[in-house]
Amino acid sequence: MRSILFHIILFFLVCASWQPVQAQFYQTTSASVRFYSSAPVEDIEAISKEGVSVINSDNGDISFKVKMRSFRFEKALMQEHFNENYMESEKFPDASFKGKSVGQIDISSTKPQKVIFKGKFTVHGVSKQRELPVTIKMGSDGETMSLSSEFKVKCVDHDIKIPKILWENIAEVIDVYVKAEFKIISQ
Amino acid sequence: MKKILLFLFLMILSFAKAQDVDSIMANISEQKEYKTQATFKSPRLVLLQTNETQKAKNLAFWVGHRFGDIGGEFGSSHTLYGLDFATDLYLGFDYGITDELTVGIGRSKFNESYSALVKYRLLWQEEEGLPFSVTLFGQSSWITREPFSNNEFQDEGDRINHFFQAIVARKFTPGISFMVSPGYFLRPEAQVQDAGDKQNLFVLGIGGRFKILKRVSLITDYTFVNGLSRPDDLQTDYHNPFGVGVEIETGGHVFSLNFQNSRYITANNFIPNTTKSWSDGGVRFGFAISRNFNLGPKERNDY
Repeated sequence: MRSILFHIILFFLVCASWQPVQAQFYQTTSASVRFYSSAPVEDIEAISKEGVSVINSDNGDISFKVKMRSFRFEKALMQEHFNENYMESEKFPDASFKGKSVGQIDISSTKPQKVIFKGKFTVHGVSKQRELPVTIKMGSDGETMSLSSEFKVKCVDHDIKIPKILWENIAEVIDVYVKAEFKIISQ
Repeated sequence: MKKILLFLFLMILSFAKAQDVDSIMANISEQKEYKTQATFKSPRLVLLQTNETQKAKNLAFWVGHRFGDIGGEFGSSHTLYGLDFATDLYLGFDYGITDELTVGIGRSKFNESYSALVKYRLLWQEEEGLPFSVTLFGQSSWITREPFSNNEFQDEGDRINHFFQAIVARKFTPGISFMVSPGYFLRPEAQVQDAGDKQNLFVLGIGGRFKILKRVSLITDYTFVNGLSRPDDLQTDYHNPFGVGVEIETGGHVFSLNFQNSRYITANNFIPNTTKSWSDGGVRFGFAISRNFNLGPKERNDY
């Protein structure tokens, strides 16, 4: 009697945990994030190739994170100022985006498809709801996915203060470019 | 029983597969160790050197100035609180060969001395790992003024002195940093001003930075010279150098406005020769300005 009860419980548990549609995940740990600030005195550009991201192509979930300290600048002193004075990287180490695609990602098509990701964009510890335009292209082998995106970040939206003194001169709106090659996670 | 175990195994396996974006993110995000930046905003505090060095291929131009006594015999409104005098003036260049190694040259008004310095970052504090930084500092100074008496400098070597210091620093919070710096000063007998004084001196420096605004910090340092190897029954009334100041950073410039009892700027000059005291008006105003030049090619952007 006890053995039958066991089998019944186990049967239900196994049914409950079995997923009829296996979710498909794509990941990258080397997404490139570049930003560009154009100002009269000096153009400032920085790049990180250490962006980490995961996409669930089944339900459209995306998570993206990049460490502020991983950004490289042309001038070492700029990099220090960026971390120390603007981003306060010790307090707020990451920039991140967590959201969901509006509509389905078609993993069977290898044509570039425009997808909007809607979600929470966090920089300098301040989160904003954003809709980011993204272009996705599936690789012909079905195992890779390229992603690219371009959007703007307003410093004032994220409480990034720009002093109006002397030689510091930084644009109030920063252009951000993201490029990533995702690989399927083998199940 | 075997069947049950098999079922349990399958069940755990299928649970493990029920992952989401967040759990995968947590798995693939690796913890990278970053070096702590900007323990101090500048390679110099008020009087002492900090653990900071120049960035690789960056050249800094330094100007330091010390005015006369604010109070006491030489101060007051007769000298506009010391502003009529320049007790010392330093002009120098520091160059970062790498992020760890800096070399520099400078010239001081006091004793018309030329100095050469080397700074090397031995250990670098990490955000999660190593809790402190250690920088080694060495500076040699060459006195070029005319001798005060015919036999003051018997040979050229009598004009040279050396100072070595190990700077142990820690950034406790983004706004608070401290350092402790044991050092040793070597000079020839000819440079000893007080006959009873030791030729070579042990020193211990302490210093700190307290950020009050994002780009403005209070800085202070104190150097023990008396009370260590120096005899305490000297004819000359020596005092320990003590400075406080405000440091303002604007892009490639660092301005420091400070008060100190020492009349001289380089360690080789102020460590053996500080005879002024804060208590009798021997404190003076001073300032330092540094301008940073990036001489390197745009190679940092190596992507």
